Amino acid sequence: MTSPLPAATAPMSAEEHARLAAQLKSRRVARQRVQNVLAYAVLIVIALIMLYPFYWTLITSFEPTGNIYEAKILPKGVSLRNYAEVFSGTTVPFWRLILNSLVICVLGVTITTTLATLAAYPLAKMRFPGRDLIFYSILILMVLPNEAGLIVNYITTIKLGLLQQTNPVIDAIRQYMAVVLPGAASIIGLFLLRQAYLGVPQELIEAARIDGARELTIWRRIMLPLALPTIVAFAILEFVAYWNSFLWARIMLPDKNMLPLSAGLLELSSTFSTNSRAVMAGAVITIIPILIVFLMGQKYFMKGLEGAVKG
Amino acid sequence: MTSTQRRVSRRAQHKLGGTGAKVTARNTLIAYAFMLPFLILLVVYHTWPVIFGTYLAFTKYNIISPPQWVGLANFRELFADEQFWSGLTNSLKYILVVPVIQVIAILVALLVNRPLKGIGFFRTAYYVPVVTSFAVVGLIWNWMYQQGGPVTAVLGFLGLPQNGSFLNNPATALYAVMFVTLWKGIGYYMVLYLAGLQGISPELEEAATIDGATRTQVFWNITLPGLRPTILVCSLMSTISAIKVFEEIYVMTQGGPAGSTYSALFYTYSRAFVDFQYGLAAAAGIIIAVISILFGLINFKLTRGGKVDA
Repeated sequence: MTSPLPAATAPMSAEEHARLAAQLKSRRVARQRVQNVLAYAVLIVIALIMLYPFYWTLITSFEPTGNIYEAKILPKGVSLRNYAEVFSGTTVPFWRLILNSLVICVLGVTITTTLATLAAYPLAKMRFPGRDLIFYSILILMVLPNEAGLIVNYITTIKLGLLQQTNPVIDAIRQYMAVVLPGAASIIGLFLLRQAYLGVPQELIEAARIDGARELTIWRRIMLPLALPTIVAFAILEFVAYWNSFLWARIMLPDKNMLPLSAGLLELSSTFSTNSRAVMAGAVITIIPILIVFLMGQKYFMKGLEGAVKG
Repeated sequence: MTSTQRRVSRRAQHKLGGTGAKVTARNTLIAYAFMLPFLILLVVYHTWPVIFGTYLAFTKYNIISPPQWVGLANFRELFADEQFWSGLTNSLKYILVVPVIQVIAILVALLVNRPLKGIGFFRTAYYVPVVTSFAVVGLIWNWMYQQGGPVTAVLGFLGLPQNGSFLNNPATALYAVMFVTLWKGIGYYMVLYLAGLQGISPELEEAATIDGATRTQVFWNITLPGLRPTILVCSLMSTISAIKVFEEIYVMTQGGPAGSTYSALFYTYSRAFVDFQYGLAAAAGIIIAVISILFGLINFKLTRGGKVDA
């Protein structure tokens, strides 16, 4: 800002001074207001670009008839027919897909968070030989690109017998595990949690150790509660990841009844080629849980991401 | 507990065989027990693919019979394969997304970093595409791009040529898919840049303003250098994911029309899971990996290792 005071030859009176200040202030307020209006205009345009495709899919999914791909602001007629179609109109077992997705998410989030919260503890708070070696090896693994991962993991899954067929219940569990296990050792999760644990005061842990607490107790009673915000953030990230995974599941699971929702949606779109509106209804159903989880945990979620960069 | 007490009981513990803080065989065992399940899965699903994948690249393998060592034959086959080259070319073209997405994400981050009322809503809105699966996003944009659909309508409104369906035209399909990558990714990088912006001390910007720096000067001399570490991380991530572009292509075009969106990883995928030539696919994977590393190094150089000081 340039100096507001004119190069006055005579000193200004208090009144003049106040008037000048008020003038400058109102000019600044006016300029601020124009800038804010501009900022909101840009923000709204971007929001429209980001949200309209979802909104358009939503309203089209409710329309019973009409020109399907037309750009519109309001639906031309509302009916639930397309939603009924998703559940009954094809060979794709939609209820089963929803169940599969839920099971995969619960299993995946539980296993992944448990493993990362356990493994990060010694790396953050214990001294033992090989600690740095393990830490840096994991770091290198994160940097090393893993293109062959898909292929070798596919081979591994088959060799582990996870796709063998014996009896329906065991097969189902094995196939869910086949989807979950490759992502269950999350390196990002390990880093996030190690970072959170490092923030726990060492004195607290020493005191507990002196009182004779076992490491598992310290982990459960001190580390977990104090790292809870990070754990929640990580769990949400993992929920989103497992809910959205489709490629690996499509490669792994020959049985269409075992597919999660995202993968099943593509199945739906190929069998429903004549009724895109029903596929849109399926897409809406697929998005809703993720939006609910995301909106509920939004604060943690953003923090978790920020931690991932700074970590 | 007072410090004297603590010192005393620590000495007592020492006599009993040491506290958890010490390196003892027992504590080492406990530490490894904590990490064991994680490490097993890490080795099986992260380390082993790197080792076995590299080995497979030098073999012929179809899962049924054991891998057969063939030396560099897979690589020779790849280099002679036009399809591989066209996939690689498209993947390299895809890097065009990187500068665009980074510039837009930085601008959007600056915009949502202002203390405006309701700014939380906008941040959330921009993040919605990020949390949505490519399976859903790809389908939605397939519909949006249909002839006579919303995209055509917007182009018509802006007075731009309406080129039929972009995904069916070999000249435009790749760019249409790139736009979706851009649209889906902006929110992600925006959040990272927002975190970066919040790490820059406001005092520094204020001081510069008081010293008479204009807003543009503050941006170029303080904000942007302060963002350099974030820019490194973000451009690194987006370059590597551009070279590995796959999911959006898988959902939207399956490599078509006329191979115009066929990417390097799509090539790898079809060699492995359509043709069952795992050795050839692994070799292609190695080439993609090497290229990713090269671009990572270039990125590192360009951003001067992400150091804040110029």
